[in-house]
Amino acid sequence: MAELTVFGFRQGTSLLHRLDVRFKLIFLVLISLSSLRAQVAGLFLLTLILVLALIHVRVSLGSILRDLRYVSLLLVFIFVTRALSTSGSALFEFKIISVTREGLHAGALVCWRLVIVIITGLAFVLTTRPSEIKGAVAWMLRPFPFVPGKRIATMMGLIVRFMPVIFQQTKETLDAQRARGVENRKNPVYRLVKLGIPVLRRTFERADKLAFAMEARCYSENRTDPRLASGIKDWIALFAVVFLCAITIM
Amino acid sequence: MKIIEIENLDHRFADGTLGLKNINLTIEEGTFVVIAGPNGSGKSTLLRHLNGLLLPTTGMVRVAGIPVPENLTIARQMVGMAFQDADSQIVGETVSDDVAFGPENLCLDRREVNRRVARALDLVNLVKLKNQKPHLLSGGEKRRLAIAGILAMEPKVLVFDEPFSSLDYPGIKQVLEQIVSLHQTGHTILVAAHDLEKVMAHTDRLVIMNHGKVVKDGSPDQLIGDLETFGIRQPCAYRLGGEVQSWLN
Repeated sequence: MAELTVFGFRQGTSLLHRLDVRFKLIFLVLISLSSLRAQVAGLFLLTLILVLALIHVRVSLGSILRDLRYVSLLLVFIFVTRALSTSGSALFEFKIISVTREGLHAGALVCWRLVIVIITGLAFVLTTRPSEIKGAVAWMLRPFPFVPGKRIATMMGLIVRFMPVIFQQTKETLDAQRARGVENRKNPVYRLVKLGIPVLRRTFERADKLAFAMEARCYSENRTDPRLASGIKDWIALFAVVFLCAITIM
Repeated sequence: MKIIEIENLDHRFADGTLGLKNINLTIEEGTFVVIAGPNGSGKSTLLRHLNGLLLPTTGMVRVAGIPVPENLTIARQMVGMAFQDADSQIVGETVSDDVAFGPENLCLDRREVNRRVARALDLVNLVKLKNQKPHLLSGGEKRRLAIAGILAMEPKVLVFDEPFSSLDYPGIKQVLEQIVSLHQTGHTILVAAHDLEKVMAHTDRLVIMNHGKVVKDGSPDQLIGDLETFGIRQPCAYRLGGEVQSWLN
């Protein structure tokens, strides 16, 4: 589980790697919002551009599909729910269950839009260093009074850093309990409590050690900011993305 | 020059337990000191006073003549500390981000941060892994990354709390090599350990702690015979009547 690394930065020199992270964040929002309004033709265009972008950053599409296999369960769930809950002309009926043409269409559209949002996010994190994302978040929160932008950015970074460690810790605890026959206990609440308490205890202990380690390295919110720089290529890319989004929702 | 001076140091924990009792210790610049003792003897508590992670209940700790509680930032910059659990010490999402964490906290110019990161990664031989995610590193690499994170702050004193725990043989050799090479480049080294096998051949001075007190202080040759009285195993070679050898040979 510690290998949950599909959503992680990969070194590269592509155009997407070189764009300013603040612009990329704006692209992420624009593309995600326009995909929510787009119909089949617009979604097709967005998908095509995103697949080309992923090929451009030299990521294997096969490995992405493999790593995103768990998301497909969520997509299937959403598709089935929409197919069964949307009224319209029935294609298949069995007792109270009715699958409609409109339901299938709506389910497929929702799933397609979700896939586009996920792939856009993936292209963003694959091509952006986590420290730059933190810097951009702190920069974007700067105008808001009473919002501790730097603290929020640091917490985001720590979550990204420690998620795999906590997953690994959970797996180790689960394995240790399996080795002592926890699977013979059929009560899921009992098993959840027996797993949850030690994992939480170890997580809090680790958080304590982390706080000590950060203090030892002079942690302060007043730190050197990451270098964020935009240029003409970022503005051209922004123009292109706005144009693309406008086409997709027309 | 005295780099660390500890006078009449007592530390009482929040629950009332006395962790350290009347510690008096002076450490000369450039020496390699091992603080040995069984678990719970107060080694880690003592080390955490050197950079102000814990403050004395009574007594005084000075680093390069400056009282630690008066300037914590200077103390933490001068005394770099590598903790027992490297995984909890690494805060960056990538190797180079982690090394940059300390210099960024010192508000250094970005160019200086980058220079220090490159130098520290070079010193611990992790340049090729600079974009790697820390949780994917081996145990020895994680420990070296923790050392790089400290070196980027350019400290004078390097403190290692049980640096070899849960490492395999190649990992131990990598970390030991690193510590010895840092000593050779003029750093003052303090290592807390309950197992002296790996460091005995390199240390100038041995300080033995028990129940929160310094019970012996001298050269390894003087104290090697007394180790087992205080619950510390003597190095294997000595038990067999031989001379203690370096693990790097």
